[in-house]
Amino acid sequence: MARRSVTAGKQAALAECRHNKKMAKNRKNQAAAIRFGPALKASFLCLLIGGSAVGYVWQKNEIYRLGQQIRQRETKLVQVQNDNKRFSDQISILHSPVMIDRRAKELNLGLAPATPMQVVRLTETPVAPERNGSRQFAQRPVTELTP
Amino acid sequence: MTNKQQIRRALVLLAFLGLAFAGLGYRLVDLQVLRHDELSAKAEQNTQREFWQAPRRGNILDATGNILATSVPVKTICADPSLVGTFQPLVAHALAPLLAISEAELLQKLTPRLARNARGEVVTNNLHYVRLARNVSEDTWRQVTAAMTNLTFGVDEKKLPRAQKEFVHDLRQHAVFSEPDQMRVYPNGSLASQVVGFPAAEEAKVSGRLVSQIVGRDGVELAMQKALSGVAGWKVTETDRAQHELVALRDEDVHPRDGLNVVLTVDSAVQHIVETALAEALQKHTPRSITGIVMRPKTGEILAMASLPNYDPNQPNSITPETRNRVITDVVEPGSTFKIVVVSGALNNNVVKLTDQFDCEHGHFAFAGRVLHDHEAFGMLTAESIITKSSNIGAAKIGIRLGADSLYDYAWNYGFGQRSGIPLPGEARGFLYPVKNWSKVSIAQIPMGHGVAVTRLQMLYAMAAIANHGCLMRPMIISRLEERDGSIVQRYAPERVRQIIGEKADADMIEALKTVPTKDGTAPDAGMKNYVVAGKTGTAQKAENGSYAPGKYISSFIGFFPADNPELCISVVMDEPREGYYGGKVCGPVFREIAERCASYLNIPPDPKLMTNNPAAFVVENAAAKL
Repeated sequence: MARRSVTAGKQAALAECRHNKKMAKNRKNQAAAIRFGPALKASFLCLLIGGSAVGYVWQKNEIYRLGQQIRQRETKLVQVQNDNKRFSDQISILHSPVMIDRRAKELNLGLAPATPMQVVRLTETPVAPERNGSRQFAQRPVTELTP
Repeated sequence: MTNKQQIRRALVLLAFLGLAFAGLGYRLVDLQVLRHDELSAKAEQNTQREFWQAPRRGNILDATGNILATSVPVKTICADPSLVGTFQPLVAHALAPLLAISEAELLQKLTPRLARNARGEVVTNNLHYVRLARNVSEDTWRQVTAAMTNLTFGVDEKKLPRAQKEFVHDLRQHAVFSEPDQMRVYPNGSLASQVVGFPAAEEAKVSGRLVSQIVGRDGVELAMQKALSGVAGWKVTETDRAQHELVALRDEDVHPRDGLNVVLTVDSAVQHIVETALAEALQKHTPRSITGIVMRPKTGEILAMASLPNYDPNQPNSITPETRNRVITDVVEPGSTFKIVVVSGALNNNVVKLTDQFDCEHGHFAFAGRVLHDHEAFGMLTAESIITKSSNIGAAKIGIRLGADSLYDYAWNYGFGQRSGIPLPGEARGFLYPVKNWSKVSIAQIPMGHGVAVTRLQMLYAMAAIANHGCLMRPMIISRLEERDGSIVQRYAPERVRQIIGEKADADMIEALKTVPTKDGTAPDAGMKNYVVAGKTGTAQKAENGSYAPGKYISSFIGFFPADNPELCISVVMDEPREGYYGGKVCGPVFREIAERCASYLNIPPDPKLMTNNPAAFVVENAAAKL
């Protein structure tokens, strides 16, 4: 029984010795080995950090660029609104009775206000629909005419 | 093994580092906690910029939407003299023709001056900010920027040192800059200028900086200042080194609320008709001044209000005290037009009928130690004829019959001695003394329009009450307030003040007034061909220095038409006319001119009773026969 246990102990020691020899062999050949995993990880990390930095700068640049565009468009909008107002004012001024009177005098058109005798006044009265439903024309009786 | 010396050195180093970190910690606490408020405010001040956004002043429009006053965006040209350096003559030479300012004046503005402040210290004025010109158009501003960019200094700029290159760049780009501003423009010039009024630019300090604001000085511009001016906005943001805004860092952006448009009851076409007729009369009779008002008696809306001489609000130099709105500011004795008060009151109190006879004493009536006169020697006249012939003695006798208290009450109820309430600044009350202050002769003088002082608006207002079945309506000049898109914010409705006389007395009064613009009355030239006119003339001697000035008169005619369904009430008053002075003679034709043109423009149906020889009806009959 005791002998058996000594043999088992030797075998375990031998196995450990073999294992140690194998480890030593790998460490010896480590410098020459190509290990893609860590390199990829490192590259990925660098790209991530670099990409984030570039993205951040790009984003900031875009914000600035878009801000400038907004500013330019706001300026343009104000300018267009001002032009719009100026033109609408101009139309309104050209329509004003004073301006029309002035132009009429300048062009010597010989216009004069209508006298009451030149005005015909018509009074609109509701027309009852005809019973036979024939086609109706927009005819209204002239009930009151004043000069 | 570490020896004691090594331990000691380590401890000294530790202590030194500890002290350094403690110092840093203290500094951190000092900056971040103890001086937090002060430093954060300073940081904000360094980075944040606050921009004031001026609201656009509202327009003033007439009843049909025509623009009477508007605001035009313009630029205020400013300069930073510290960036101009010693090149003031060059800049002044380039900008003077564009800004229409002399080179000498520009040179003076661009040169920083030394002055002493309140504490006696020598300081440099205008070092960073000086205004070169105001109300400059956008086109001119573009020319100014081009002129600054194209400045040449007679040297090869590429060979300049870096500092000088920067100076040249700053001089071209930043030495002259602009600020947004607005200018008030009156497209119709002097039309309704006294109603519209005029503004002035005022400086106000906003956020520690002077900003220019337009403030009304007279007329609607002043009366509606609050509604017209709007509410300013602001923007809190950050700028880059070139003072360009960094939109992403914009903190607050509150847009300004533009001023409201004020729509008047004035119709610019009617106003033009009135001003044209008054200008012709001014040329013909050369009075010191002439006024005209057109009102709708049913609502109190004023369609035109003019006083000549007037001014052009686009030219501030033309504004003088002589060009004031005399319709509301000047008080005068009304003369015979005031007879409508006493006669209508007597008719309403049933103390007089139109057919009652009065002895007009052949032109001389001694009363209370004074002798009253008529312009003609009248004998017996009816109450109606007293109005027709405008007898002073007859009116005095009606006044005596009415009684002092009643006369005063009617005069007060017609609105004399008090402001009408028209929303225009500078309206006078006039003078209507209480009965206890009357002299013995007042009861005879007041009915003929002496001893009271009224504004021209008050007199028209009283006549309009007779035209409106005895009901006094408050004069309206503002119709509504609108947003820029036309949506109505507030509408002003016609306001009934009081009923003064009954329907019967009013109808009788109108019958009497219809006789004035006839061949028997005092104003035959005021009669219209197709409308029945009711009105009253007035010719009052002017009071100067406590007595009546010989040869100086206030002549007037106030009337309305069509008499039985009045649409318009018109007043024409001349101050010291030179070619004739009777109200009916000088103002009657002006009334007719205005009335006929207004009737045509407003399409007022003619009086059917006056329809004679009607060619229009003939044409339609023929047309009917053809059909």
